[in-house]
Amino acid sequence: MTNHSGPDTDLLALVEDYFSKTFSADVIADAEQHGLSPQLWASTEELGLTLIGINEQHGGSGGSLLDLLAVAEGTGRHAVPLPVAETGLASWLFACADVEVPTGPLAVVPDASGLSLTGNRLSGRATHIPWARGARRVVALLNGRVVSIDPARLHITAGSDLAGMPRDTVNGADVEVDVYESGVDADDMLLRGALLRAAQIAGAISAAFELTNRYVKQRVQFGKPIGTFQSVQAHVVELAEVSALTTLCVERAGAAALRGPASLEIAATKSVANRNARLASRAAHQAHGAIGMTREYPLQLLTRRLHTWRGDFGDETALNLRLGVAAAGGIAAAVTSVGSTLGV
Amino acid sequence: MRLRATDLSADEVGLRDEVRAFLAARLPAGSYPIGLGFAAEVDAAFSRDLGSRGWLGMALPKEYGGGGRSAVERLIVVEELLAVGAPVGWHWVADRQSGPNIAANGTVEQKQHFLPRIAGGELSFAIGMSEPEAGSDLASVRTGAVKVGDSWLINGTKIWTSGAAEATHLLGLFRTSEDRYRGLTQFIVDRSTEGLTVSPIPFIDGTRHFCEVSFTDVVVPDSMRLGEVGAGWGQNTAELVLERGGVDRWMSLMPVLQHWAAHPHGRVDAWEQTDLGSVAARCWAFHGLSLSIARAVDRGESPTVEAALAKEMATRFEQECIDIVCRHYGRTPELTSSDPYESLLARALLTGPSWTIRGGTTEILRNIISKALIRP
Repeated sequence: MTNHSGPDTDLLALVEDYFSKTFSADVIADAEQHGLSPQLWASTEELGLTLIGINEQHGGSGGSLLDLLAVAEGTGRHAVPLPVAETGLASWLFACADVEVPTGPLAVVPDASGLSLTGNRLSGRATHIPWARGARRVVALLNGRVVSIDPARLHITAGSDLAGMPRDTVNGADVEVDVYESGVDADDMLLRGALLRAAQIAGAISAAFELTNRYVKQRVQFGKPIGTFQSVQAHVVELAEVSALTTLCVERAGAAALRGPASLEIAATKSVANRNARLASRAAHQAHGAIGMTREYPLQLLTRRLHTWRGDFGDETALNLRLGVAAAGGIAAAVTSVGSTLGV
Repeated sequence: MRLRATDLSADEVGLRDEVRAFLAARLPAGSYPIGLGFAAEVDAAFSRDLGSRGWLGMALPKEYGGGGRSAVERLIVVEELLAVGAPVGWHWVADRQSGPNIAANGTVEQKQHFLPRIAGGELSFAIGMSEPEAGSDLASVRTGAVKVGDSWLINGTKIWTSGAAEATHLLGLFRTSEDRYRGLTQFIVDRSTEGLTVSPIPFIDGTRHFCEVSFTDVVVPDSMRLGEVGAGWGQNTAELVLERGGVDRWMSLMPVLQHWAAHPHGRVDAWEQTDLGSVAARCWAFHGLSLSIARAVDRGESPTVEAALAKEMATRFEQECIDIVCRHYGRTPELTSSDPYESLLARALLTGPSWTIRGGTTEILRNIISKALIRP
């Protein structure tokens, strides 16, 4: 099997159609003001888009990891102001623990080192949690155990990421929680999160490329569309390149993860996606000029998310250091490896 | 633009391991001059050894002595060769582009004559495209071929022709009428033909593979015309696609990178490891990109834009790798060093700018890509 069967085409069509019609710039701006919209969540959940990649026995919608990545890519393309990727990660933790996934939006604690668990009681502090506000459950992984927390029992301090989406701090003292054993460790979770974020980055880069390509054909200066100037075209070309490369990497890493351990593929993919997010943001803004710097124009919906996501689940430095330690001894073996993780 | 993710099948991994084992035995460390990608040493005996194993002309048709294998299988062999800086100079151009061009456009006689010899590593081709007044603007070539009886009389000068001094043949683009594009025709010229003079142009690193080829009343029989009269531009463009999407566009520095990964310079460990990781991640990504392009070729597609996109990105990455390795070296590497890897790094430092020039400059590639993007 060399050509991986991609995501379900009906699902792709649904994602594109529903996300593009639902998440207008106004809707996204509204979420930035008021947080998670229960109505938008409910309609997205009703379509089955929030639990893709989770099988029916755990309460999911079925589908493969590649389907889940296609949905995540869609959330990036359309700057979807809902915790779809976060819920995808949390529901995977529940499924790994072999328990039914709760309905509703879910949040995941990215770094649980400030939390401690005694029996089924949790104490401590965790920071930078995407979408803790509005989540039905906040989920943390502590020593291989999936801990499901009712946010009503936590003290939540609101914060926000660069895109204006919730990114909160929680405090709890002796909070009763549900605890499930799982075979998952913190690194498994990090890699799963990195792959989802890489898919979102791929989606946002592709949208930034298309937006920029449209803009340079329409915007007239010196009597002609600015896209006729080679120096401007260079920015569009760079966007096309990083878009194609990022999307391809995400698909390869997803296919590798379906086959088995894929830490090398995922770390490389997220590293490349992070770098490309940076390059794409710069090129798209440069090609747009001043209009792209405003809140009125939709480019910022994408570039603010690109900056946010490239820092999640491994930034360039962390991932490159990890890859570099693993590649000591030889690069070619790592590059041409198939189904081997080389201890990354 | 849509490239599909792909990886190697079990059989393909088997081929890779077979090539790797062969190279370890045939080219033990220290037994050969390590090269930078396809700007490699010329070793006809090594090329014939590859040919006898069926690793040249792999994608050429079987009925003409080729391997009848896939573009992906060829990529696997090439990737292993470039990873060790193997002396691929003798067969490189023939295997990558002249052979496939002759297979696609040649007469039965041409295919019967040339293809088995290319697959056997007996012939070495050089490219006759650029001229003193026609570089990136290739359609303005002026070296003319005039029909005289059953032959053509060629006069003019080709330049920047790598490997012409050693090559047995030149496959070039010549002007057969004044029509800018339809006035171009390709010919195969025997290197030993009277009136053909090859003069090396000393390269920036002191090597002499780079040549000027002058034609003074060179007589080429009509049987050595490749394709129809006036079809040269299209054939040449297709040939450039073969030149662009391959692994050779990101692997020039690979032997140095391999050595660096195993022997870090150790000035600032974490910095060096982070840089190594960044290089490894991108090599992995470009490997996947080349593989997807080769699969598209095997499906019968012609991924012109994807190949241009890959080359534009990958060659800039190759150049960045030189900077990355050099900044951990501690001093400027020397060409005359007895350490072959230091010498190779120095050569890369000097010749690296050519990587974004040869086979279509970065600027030309951007034009090709943006034309395709602007087309609705």
